[in-house]
Amino acid sequence: MRPMISLILRLYPARWRARYGDEFAAVLEERPLGPFDVADVLLGALDAHLHLRGLGAASQHAKGFAMSLRIGGYAAILGALLIGLVIALTGGRSAGSDNAAAIALLVALAALLVGLTGMSAFQARSDPWLVWSAFAMTAVGSVVIFIASVSDLAGVGPGDWRDGLLPIGLVTAGLGSALFGVATYRVSVLSRRGALALVIGPVAALSGAIAVGQNAWELGMSFLLVGIVSFVAGWLTLGVAAIRLDRAASTLRPA
Amino acid sequence: MVTKIPELGRFAEPALLILVSLSDGPKHGYAIMADVEAGTGRPLGPGTLYAALARLEERGLIEALTPVDRRRPYRLTAVGATNLAEQLHELSEFAQLGLRRLGSPTG
Repeated sequence: MRPMISLILRLYPARWRARYGDEFAAVLEERPLGPFDVADVLLGALDAHLHLRGLGAASQHAKGFAMSLRIGGYAAILGALLIGLVIALTGGRSAGSDNAAAIALLVALAALLVGLTGMSAFQARSDPWLVWSAFAMTAVGSVVIFIASVSDLAGVGPGDWRDGLLPIGLVTAGLGSALFGVATYRVSVLSRRGALALVIGPVAALSGAIAVGQNAWELGMSFLLVGIVSFVAGWLTLGVAAIRLDRAASTLRPA
Repeated sequence: MVTKIPELGRFAEPALLILVSLSDGPKHGYAIMADVEAGTGRPLGPGTLYAALARLEERGLIEALTPVDRRRPYRLTAVGATNLAEQLHELSEFAQLGLRRLGSPTG
């Protein structure tokens, strides 16, 4: 952890480090760092540069600059709705060959990554590796889907999208969401029902896809449907819970 | 001239939470984070904490004490305490107004 902290500190201006560096490093060493903390510290470093260059006034009024549960909540809702929309419009059949659907899927996954980051503060305290694994798998899945989409655009992709990288990316990103669901369920924050739905969704969808591959069409499609609905509902529920929690704690604003 | 906390822009809310946390005595960074999170149920990231601490210190609302094992405690200054009391009164009046309009028996 210390090399990571040392790397993070280097992002801050030297003058800031001279004043706060030691105590800031001590704070970072006192608890496990999750994606939320790292994102918050990166934004803090950017703020310190702007502030020390006399751009403090500009940075002060840049609302929404700090990482928060609210950002995570809205991003999770956006990502879930986009994924639901892509599946509803394409029926899941042509996601690999339809460019608009592939782009929408990538935007949705990017939004889910932001959602995962913004909503992961409490989970990372007790299960940092689980949360980082969830983040890494969602990120790797998104990159694989990006590569599959670019190959498709360049005309070098497989004839049938099921033979290419796309299913690998979808499974990886889906399992990343499931891991985040496990971490959230264990810590019992935001919504346990949402967390459970997020675990059930990718597992049911993957089981359904395997069953379809084995020609158990009806059973497989039922599992796929349950999985997709559960996945979307899980992210939506966690997103709404995060916004509600943020609002409940945001009553400290004078008129 | 007393600095109004809303002038701290996006750091107004964390700044107010930090001042409330320091109102019962000096605390170092990690203790402030833990206190704010326990009080609000919402995470306070280390980057946001130190951005707000730096602004509060610049404006003389808090002051740094001598570090103990790299942990530096902060405490409210007299100006900070006055400022916090003013802000909390304003909030209280605003809350009372809202409760009265809602017809709440506690308003």
